[in-house]
Amino acid sequence: MNARTRIMFGAIIPRTRRTPKGADESLGARGARISGALGGFLRRTSRTGFVLYALALGAALGLASADFATSGGYPVGGTTIGAWTAWAKTGSVDADPYSRAVNARRGEIPLAIGEGLLLTAATDDDGRRLDASCTYAVGGAVPPARAWTLTIGGRGAVDPAARPVREAFTSTEILREADDRFVITIAKEVQSGNWLPMPRPSGPVRLALRLYDTPVAASVGSLDRNTVPAITRLGCK
Amino acid sequence: MMSTRSRFILATLCALVLAGIVHIVTVRAIPYFAEGDAFSQARKSESLDHPLRIHSLAVAGTPAPPEEWLPVPDPAVAVGVCAYDLEDGPMRVSARVSSLNLSIAVHNRKGAFYAVTDQAAVRGSLDLVIMTRAQFDEALASADENQVNRDVRIIAPDREGFAVVRVIAGLPSQNAMANEAVDAVSCSIDAPDEPTGPDAKPGG
Repeated sequence: MNARTRIMFGAIIPRTRRTPKGADESLGARGARISGALGGFLRRTSRTGFVLYALALGAALGLASADFATSGGYPVGGTTIGAWTAWAKTGSVDADPYSRAVNARRGEIPLAIGEGLLLTAATDDDGRRLDASCTYAVGGAVPPARAWTLTIGGRGAVDPAARPVREAFTSTEILREADDRFVITIAKEVQSGNWLPMPRPSGPVRLALRLYDTPVAASVGSLDRNTVPAITRLGCK
Repeated sequence: MMSTRSRFILATLCALVLAGIVHIVTVRAIPYFAEGDAFSQARKSESLDHPLRIHSLAVAGTPAPPEEWLPVPDPAVAVGVCAYDLEDGPMRVSARVSSLNLSIAVHNRKGAFYAVTDQAAVRGSLDLVIMTRAQFDEALASADENQVNRDVRIIAPDREGFAVVRVIAGLPSQNAMANEAVDAVSCSIDAPDEPTGPDAKPGG
């Protein structure tokens, strides 16, 4: 490639040396001449130039897209059940490369299949994004598990000074009705029963349901909308 | 001779194909070059004989330990890690069953290859021995037929990895107990020339 560029430069130099001859030329003509020379240069170097262009663009796009795909949550590998997404395989050795990269970048230790199952929700049952300015009721059934926890959080770091009084409910703590069902109310203001305060004044929030020691981790496909908690929006301000 | 425009289009197409290759290679390479991943961070626990607690539950009056790197930990679960290197011998993870739910998962760089909960415990204790295929064969060959072995033997695909201990505190009053339950698990190296615990004594 070096030898080739040198030859090309060699071809250009005599041409540019010729330019001072037309010293009385107008500025526009000179500009046209220079651009013509540049065009010729580009035409001559087109192969090298295009190879460099392809390499640079390919590397930039590839790296940027890889960074984008692995910087947030898991991009693929979830199973959607109503408003919830179950992440069964993110912790196993046959996890997809994206989940593995996300785990590595975040320092996450995901739940193994024999250990438990993580379900996340970012929308309510009607598909609207969970928002901190609204009030929600989460309740109904939970897939069979020895223990479960329901956690609420938002994106970004939590302000330690404004840490909410409660960020999660466990299956032991929950107050149940006579038929063993339960309702968790997520709201800013204090509620009776199982009150989970909104973790932040505004913005999107996410729910995480972790099932521990559950048989469904190995058969996520068997879950349907009726076996996961319903997320109902009660109202917004 | 191709025109400049078709060359440009060809170069762009090549760039897209290259971008795809770079994307795939980068995503697959991230776990091997990451420095903040669980596998690298768990190495710190290799010299300990108990799990390094990486997520402690809040107990009034005790400051949170500095070793916390889980991005979104479950606030009701205490987590500890034990790194192993099977070069030194099989790794034994022993836990006593308490009233709290406990689970142990064994990870290598790629992910978890084994997990067990305290429901698998025999007579109140859970004994996991993580070993290589060669160490497993050796253990089988030298096993005493008269002796009952209650160890759960796991063949690790790789020499290095880590075990994760999780203890669930169902109520906030159990937080201190959950933290202690993580610390009470023992992670030791089974020296090949020593009897493996009291159960392995001849005639025992």
